[in-house]
Amino acid sequence: MARQSLAAAWCAAALAALLALAGVDAGAASTAPAEAAKIESRTLANGLEIVVWPDHDIPNVAMYVWFRVGSRNEYPGITGISHFFEHMMFNGTKTRRPGEFDRIMEGSGGRNNAYTSSDVTVYQDWFPRSALEVVFDLEADRMRNLDFDPKAVESERGVVYSERRSSVDNDNFGVLAEQMQATAYVAHPYQFPTLGWPSDIEGWTIEDLKTYYQRYYAPNNAVVFVVGDVTAPEVLALAEKYLAPIKRQPAPEPVKTREPPQLGERRLEVERDAQTPLIAMAWHAGSAPERQTRIMEVLLAVLGGGDSSRLHQKLVEQEQAALEVGVQLDQGFDPGLAWIFAVVPPGGDVARVEALIDAELARIARDGPTPAELAKARNQALAAFWRGLETISGKAQALGTYEVFHGDFRKLFDAPGEYESITVDEVRAAAASVLRRENRTVGTLVTPPADTAITPAPSEAKQ
Amino acid sequence: MTRAGLLAGAALLSALAMPAHAQGAAAGDVRLAPFEQYRLPNGTVLVLMEKRDTPLVSMRALLRGGSIGDPAGKEGSATLLADLLQKGAGARNAVAFAEAIENVGGELAASAQTESIAVGASFLARDVDLMVELVADALMRPQFDSQEFAKARTLAIQSIAAAKDADPRDLMDIYGDAWLFRGHPYGRPTEGSEKSLQAISLEDLKTYYEAQLGGDRLIVTVVGDIRAADMKQRLETAFSGWRKAGVAAPVVSAMPRVQGRRVLLVDKPGATQTYFWLGNVGADRTDPARGAQSVVNTVFGGRFTSMLNTALRIESGLTYGASSGFARLSEPGAFQIDSYTQTEKTREAVDLALATLDRLHAEGISAEAIASARNYLLGQFPTSIETNGQLANRLADIVFFGLARSDVDEYADRVRAVDMAAVKATIVRDVPTSGDLVMVVIGDAAEIRDAVRKYGPVTEMKITDPTFAPSAAN
Repeated sequence: MARQSLAAAWCAAALAALLALAGVDAGAASTAPAEAAKIESRTLANGLEIVVWPDHDIPNVAMYVWFRVGSRNEYPGITGISHFFEHMMFNGTKTRRPGEFDRIMEGSGGRNNAYTSSDVTVYQDWFPRSALEVVFDLEADRMRNLDFDPKAVESERGVVYSERRSSVDNDNFGVLAEQMQATAYVAHPYQFPTLGWPSDIEGWTIEDLKTYYQRYYAPNNAVVFVVGDVTAPEVLALAEKYLAPIKRQPAPEPVKTREPPQLGERRLEVERDAQTPLIAMAWHAGSAPERQTRIMEVLLAVLGGGDSSRLHQKLVEQEQAALEVGVQLDQGFDPGLAWIFAVVPPGGDVARVEALIDAELARIARDGPTPAELAKARNQALAAFWRGLETISGKAQALGTYEVFHGDFRKLFDAPGEYESITVDEVRAAAASVLRRENRTVGTLVTPPADTAITPAPSEAKQ
Repeated sequence: MTRAGLLAGAALLSALAMPAHAQGAAAGDVRLAPFEQYRLPNGTVLVLMEKRDTPLVSMRALLRGGSIGDPAGKEGSATLLADLLQKGAGARNAVAFAEAIENVGGELAASAQTESIAVGASFLARDVDLMVELVADALMRPQFDSQEFAKARTLAIQSIAAAKDADPRDLMDIYGDAWLFRGHPYGRPTEGSEKSLQAISLEDLKTYYEAQLGGDRLIVTVVGDIRAADMKQRLETAFSGWRKAGVAAPVVSAMPRVQGRRVLLVDKPGATQTYFWLGNVGADRTDPARGAQSVVNTVFGGRFTSMLNTALRIESGLTYGASSGFARLSEPGAFQIDSYTQTEKTREAVDLALATLDRLHAEGISAEAIASARNYLLGQFPTSIETNGQLANRLADIVFFGLARSDVDEYADRVRAVDMAAVKATIVRDVPTSGDLVMVVIGDAAEIRDAVRKYGPVTEMKITDPTFAPSAAN
């Protein structure tokens, strides 16, 4: 079943819209909209979808394989398995010994990586065009023939533990964010750390891995994006040759749990040795494709996007109560969190930082942003849109985000227009409805009082 | 106005108009697109390249100098000055300057490196006049507001404290360079230390600015959706009037290789991992053997399947990552190995890293591994010159180090020419042996003090100490 390539009418409209937005004159203009017309996609008979965006700027290719599985699909006892699985995807198949994937990839001039989030697992290959068929072969092999060598499983547990120790246990922000995520959600699996709880890292079995592989690493649960120095026909032919023979699997069980409304503010404190205390706040917000999520992006940009933002000016420049303020918006299949965090100077007053943030939140919920702030947020979104398309890997990531989370990669090109349509009143309303006290979790990380002994974290005591 | 002329001849330029990746070309055969280079009477060098795949423009203004020009005891001067350049310039105070950038979705940041101070910017093409104005204001008309200075200094000091609470991987190079290059300008922490920043006054920075910044030190590169002729005019107008720096640019002499071993133990109580950095003096940016050095480093510690990562991660699960690399400056910077492991495995991991280094020296590299590394370097190189920003940086780098476009255009030839003899020579000449290594170990000293003693004489400091080197070495 072939999916159609982009309709000409849509392309012309998108091109006009983009040029108008970017304010470039067509004579000297960038060719990205014209490039967009070259994007082709197809769904293979086994349900695997493939999207191709030819771009001949450099003689290289970015191939991203997205699987719709992440820590959101986990449950107590196997938390972290999605991420562990990501590691195991490099550790051998029935036809290739552990490590061969990387040796062949690098020996052919390619490099790879992968990431796991609460929603998806993404495998990234960057390689010279001469390696195109080799990479198709490698990706198809591990999608079909993955093997679980017991020795590799045990060794990889150690690697994942080290990753956890680096990005969570020995990083104060990592610890605080993990505790807050676990507190903000009582029902939905977004409460699980993507790296997994330590006892689960120790506990999962080869059987767990096999079940997981069969259920989620199916062609009908994947989308492949190929961007770079290729033609659509050659990529689609390789997809038919290598990926089409892989058998379809029953669709995975959907995640049905919805987080119930939060009934009041939740607070937590993490005690750690720290020169610089931390404070973070997280509110339940929306899922990726909602218009409300675009509005939240604008709201957070006004509050904390850059040195001229409200929170930076107030907390860092005027009051010098914090040395850094940041914002983040989780965007996944299900409603995620909107974050504001601050790093407090040594000896600083965490409660005062909280009061200053609260005052800014009250102000924007009451008055909304100024038209100038809204224009700034739009311009930042427009520039970010283009910066995201500067590289073949950026394009592959952008296509993936819109295809997987928004349901259609074409919506990528609507993004600048969406920001353009957001009003002052919508941003004000979002502040009032989302950034409410009863909808938030507040976390602080502070050094315990001097007379309290610091005990090692249980996970490490166990090892 | 003196036009220095194009670096490349006309014949080469016309060849470049063809697709860089013509059918049949081997991987990695990329050449820089045409660019134009000029020298203004005050010594400023301008480099312009048109690239129109997005409506974006990147700019880099690179000044010779950097932290090697920091006065002794006032390390971090160049970095603090770079911070202050953005805190009010021209007619705009600090907040107006930030707003001018962010209102149009631009990015602009000034920073200091070991041998340079740089302002980098990325703006939409429609705002390119504003971009040039802001970069020129920051460099030529900083306000030196005393309140902004006080804030910037406090923030810089507190940010170091915050970094010590965060991931120690980000600190390894700072401690490593300080310990390896003690007493040499390359050992100065670019960001300064809590102690040295405290010693810097606004007057110091003004003096530093007059002495160390000026048109004769400046290289400006612009890449993106521009018309080169228009941009040349703008840049001439903006920068041709800038005075020269008060003094000659600082130069350093090469530091000799360190003989034997010494260990710096940085105590981070409660750390559940040990982070280690092993290094010695390596190679410089223009080293004719840089192709062979890249091949050797790729095989040893420069990619996922490298000898180090295979030993410490893939085969043993001791760590999430182990790698090596050359830091290339005007003179040789560090050749380093770094990794981390859980506290209890400190000795096992360090021993394995040392044994892997011994194996490189004892067994060398197979012909197969050389071929694989060549492919890898050739296959990955084009992604390093893909964006406007990467190209602006690369062009500035080429001018800064007195190289030519051949640095890029002949990259593939240099890598392909690396044979077994070149590899053997590089291992002997450029890679330290395990007996001659300066070591930094960050971790819980109470747990690992005994373990690291066997590697050499140990000097100990605390991570909360207000310097990045033990006081005796400061």
